[in-house]
Amino acid sequence: MSNVPISSAAKPASRPLFTRDIFLQFGVVWAFVLLLVASAILYPRVFDPNNVKNILSQSAPVGIVAVGMTFVMIGGGFDLSVGAIFALGAVVFAHLADPLGLWGAAGAVVVASTICGVINGLIVTKLRVNPFVATLGTGSAFGGYAFIYSDAAPQVPNDFSFQYLGTEAWFGWPISIYILIAVFLIGAFVLARCTYGRSIYATGGNTEAARLSGIPVDVLRASTYVMTALCSGIGGMILSSRLGVGQADMGGSIALDSIAIVVIGGTSLLGGEGTMWRTAIGLLIIATLTNVFDSLAINNNYQLVAKGVIVIGAVALDIYARRIRT
Amino acid sequence: MQSTASVLPATAPEPDRLALQATGVEMRYSGTLALKGVDVQAEKGTIHALVGENGAGKSTFLGIIAGRVVPTRGTVRIFDQPHVFGVPRQARRLGIATIYQELTIVPALSAQANVFLGQVKSHSGLLDERAMRRRFEELAAEMSVSIRPDAIAGRLSVADQQMLEIMRGIQSGAKLLLFDEPTTSLAPPEREALFRLMRQLRGEGTTMMFVSHNLEEVLDLSDVVTVFRDGNLSGSAPRSEWTKPALIRAMVGHDVVENRRVERAPRKPGAAPLLMATGVTVPGAIENVDITVNPGEIVGIGGLVGSGRTSLLRALAGLEPRSTGTLSINGEAAKWPETPREALKSGIVLVPEDRKAQGLVLGMSAMDNIAIGRFDAVSRFGVISNSKMNQKSRAVAREFGFAENRVGTIVRNLSGGNQQKVMLGKARFRGPRILLVDEPTRGIDIGAKDEIMTTLRRLADDGLGIIVVSSDLEEVIAASDRILVMAEGQKVAELDQATQPAKVQDILNAAFKVMTHE
Repeated sequence: MSNVPISSAAKPASRPLFTRDIFLQFGVVWAFVLLLVASAILYPRVFDPNNVKNILSQSAPVGIVAVGMTFVMIGGGFDLSVGAIFALGAVVFAHLADPLGLWGAAGAVVVASTICGVINGLIVTKLRVNPFVATLGTGSAFGGYAFIYSDAAPQVPNDFSFQYLGTEAWFGWPISIYILIAVFLIGAFVLARCTYGRSIYATGGNTEAARLSGIPVDVLRASTYVMTALCSGIGGMILSSRLGVGQADMGGSIALDSIAIVVIGGTSLLGGEGTMWRTAIGLLIIATLTNVFDSLAINNNYQLVAKGVIVIGAVALDIYARRIRT
Repeated sequence: MQSTASVLPATAPEPDRLALQATGVEMRYSGTLALKGVDVQAEKGTIHALVGENGAGKSTFLGIIAGRVVPTRGTVRIFDQPHVFGVPRQARRLGIATIYQELTIVPALSAQANVFLGQVKSHSGLLDERAMRRRFEELAAEMSVSIRPDAIAGRLSVADQQMLEIMRGIQSGAKLLLFDEPTTSLAPPEREALFRLMRQLRGEGTTMMFVSHNLEEVLDLSDVVTVFRDGNLSGSAPRSEWTKPALIRAMVGHDVVENRRVERAPRKPGAAPLLMATGVTVPGAIENVDITVNPGEIVGIGGLVGSGRTSLLRALAGLEPRSTGTLSINGEAAKWPETPREALKSGIVLVPEDRKAQGLVLGMSAMDNIAIGRFDAVSRFGVISNSKMNQKSRAVAREFGFAENRVGTIVRNLSGGNQQKVMLGKARFRGPRILLVDEPTRGIDIGAKDEIMTTLRRLADDGLGIIVVSSDLEEVIAASDRILVMAEGQKVAELDQATQPAKVQDILNAAFKVMTHE
C-alpha cells in the first residue's frame, strides 16, 4: 500500500484519505470482523472447535463451487448452471460408486462435469450467447439430464465406502475441509501467481486490449467455464458423499449461494477485479451467518430474506465504493 | 495568434437580428483548454460554417450550442434568450435542433418512428400516425429521398440513416439547426438534395450552423465562415472574403510552432524493405493502398479523420478480418494477418489509438500491462516471477522515460502521458520489428510528447520500422522520414522528406484535392 493515491495531491490532508482508501479496499474484512463480534455475543459457542468444523465441512461443497465461480467472474463471465452440474455430479457419483468404486466414480464425475463446462464455454465464446442466457439454458438442460439419468430417484449405493470423502476425518478434521482448503489454495495460487490467472484478469478487465495483446481470449474464457463446472461436479460429489445419497434436486440454491459468496467478497460483476481471499471471506460470512441463524433457531424463510438483502447490499456498497474511489 | 482574425464587421448587428450570440466561451477538459474564450455571432436566416483542423475546438463549440456540453465560462444567447447549458431538452425548447455525425437512430424502429423520436405527434394521448405519415412524406419530397416510412431503420444504408437524422432535425420546425459534418456519408445526389433543402430553409428564415472538413462545400453553401485554430478563432468573415488557400492558411496559422524535429542517424542503404504491403483493402474504408517501411524509417500517415488512416493500421495489425492485401516482411512473403496473433507472429505490433478501450487494462498495474500477452517471458513453468517481471518492465519503462519506481502503480491512477508510455513500453516488450503507432500523443502534455517522439526515433535508429498516424499534422511532419497522405480511403500523395521537407499545407492540399474531384 505504498502507492499513495494520485488524487491526494489535490486534497490538503492525505492521511484521512489514505485510511479511507484502506477502509474501502478491505471493507469486507471489517464486515466479517464485525460479524464475528456480533456472533460471539449472540451465540458464544460459535468459536468452539466442533462448531468451526461443522461450519467448514457444511460449507465445503458450495465453497468449492465459489472458487470456480471466482474464475468465471474475474474473466468477465457468469455461470448459472453450477447448481445443475452440482446435482449431476452428485447423482453420477452415487450411481457409479457401486460399479466403479470410490475413485472410479470420482473420475466419472470429473469427465461429466468437464463435458458440461466445455459445452458452456463453447456456447459463450463460439455462439457468442450472453453468459447469463447461455448458462440459464444449459442449467435447465443439465438439470433435466440429472433427473433423467437418476430416474428422478435418490441414488443410494450399497457400498458405504463412497461416504469416505464426506464423513471421514484426518487428524480429527473432516476430509472435506482439507479438500476445501486445498481447492482454495490452488485457486488462489493459479489466479495470483500463474500466467494463466494473470491472463484471466487481463481478459476480464479489458477483453479488447487483451485480444490485441495476443491473448487467446476465447480459449481462456471457455476454460474458466470448464473449471467452474469441474468445481461444481466435485462439490456435488462431496455433498452426496456426506449425505450418503445422490439426488437430482440437490443443486437448488447452489448458483445463488456461490454467486453471493463471490460478490459479497467484493469481486466485481464486470470482471477483471477480485481475488480468491475475497471469496474465502465471502464464504466465511455466509457460513457464519447461516450457522448463527440456525443455532438461534431462526426460521429458514427469514434466512432467505436476510441472505437476499445482504447480497444486494454488498453489491450496492461495492458499486458505491468504486464510484467514490475513482 | 496573429491577426487573421478581426475581420468581424465593425458595427455589431442589433441583438434582435441575431440568432446566436456567444461571448467568451471557454471549455476546459481536465487541464487542457479546448476553447479559449471565443466570441461568435450568427445572424438570423444565414448559413454559418465552422472549420478548423481536428481538435481546433469547432465540434466542442457546436456541442455547447447544442446544449450537450457545459462550458467552463462564457455566455450564449439564443434568439436573445439566455442559453441553458447541458440540457438538450431545453435547447430544443429554444428552437435548436442538432444533427450529429455519429448516428443516433434506433435500429429496431421504423423510419417514420425514428424521425419523430421523442417528439411524436399525438392526439389526447394517442399517436397520430396519419399526421406523422403526412409530415414524413412531405419532408421526403422536399429532400427528394425515397425512404419508405415503414422501413426498419437498422436495415437502411448509412446514407439513408443519415437522411433520417436530418429529417428528424428539421421536422420540428426548429429555428436554429446545427449540423456536425452532415455530408460525410452522403453520395453526391443526396448531398445536393441536402444543400437545396438548406438553402430553402434559409429562405424561410431558419438559421443554420455546420461543421465541415470539405472546404468546397463550405465555400459553396455558407454565408459566413468561422475558422477555429487551437481553441481560438483565427478568422470569421463573410463568404465573399474567403478563398480556399485563405481558409487553409487560417486553419494552419502563420505562426506555425515548429515541432522539434528529432535528429536521425544516417540510414543504411540497400537493405530490403522491412515491411511491404500492397493492395491493402478494407471494404468500406480503404481501397488498394500500398505502403513500404524500411528498417530505421518512420513513415507518417497524414489525412483527416475518416480518411482511412486508422483502418490501414488496423488492417496491418490483423484487426480487420475482412481486409485483403499481400504482405512481405524483410523481403519474404508473409501471411496476410487476419488476427492480432498472426500479426504479432510477423513482428507487427500496434499501439492503438484508444488507450482506455483497446490499449490498457486499467485495473492492473503498469508492469502487468507491459507484460500482458507475454507473461511467458517473465515466468517459469507457468508461474509468474514477480522479480523478473519487475526487473524487465523497469527496463522498458526507463526507455520511455516512465518513472521506474512506479511500475507497480495501477494504470487507472496514471496520467495520460504515463499511460501512453506504458502502452509504448508494452509494445516494446514484445520485441517488435514493425511498430504501428496510432495517435501517440493525443491528450498528453508537451513534455511527455517530446519524450515519446524522441524515443520512437531512437527505436527507429535501432533498426525498427515505425508507422505513425496522428491528427497533429505538424507532429507527423516532425516525426517522419516519409509521409503518405490519405483521403477517402485512398493514398493520394507520398511526400519524401529526404528530398524536400513537407509543410502542413502540402498535406492539406493533397488531402483536399480528392474532395474536389468527386
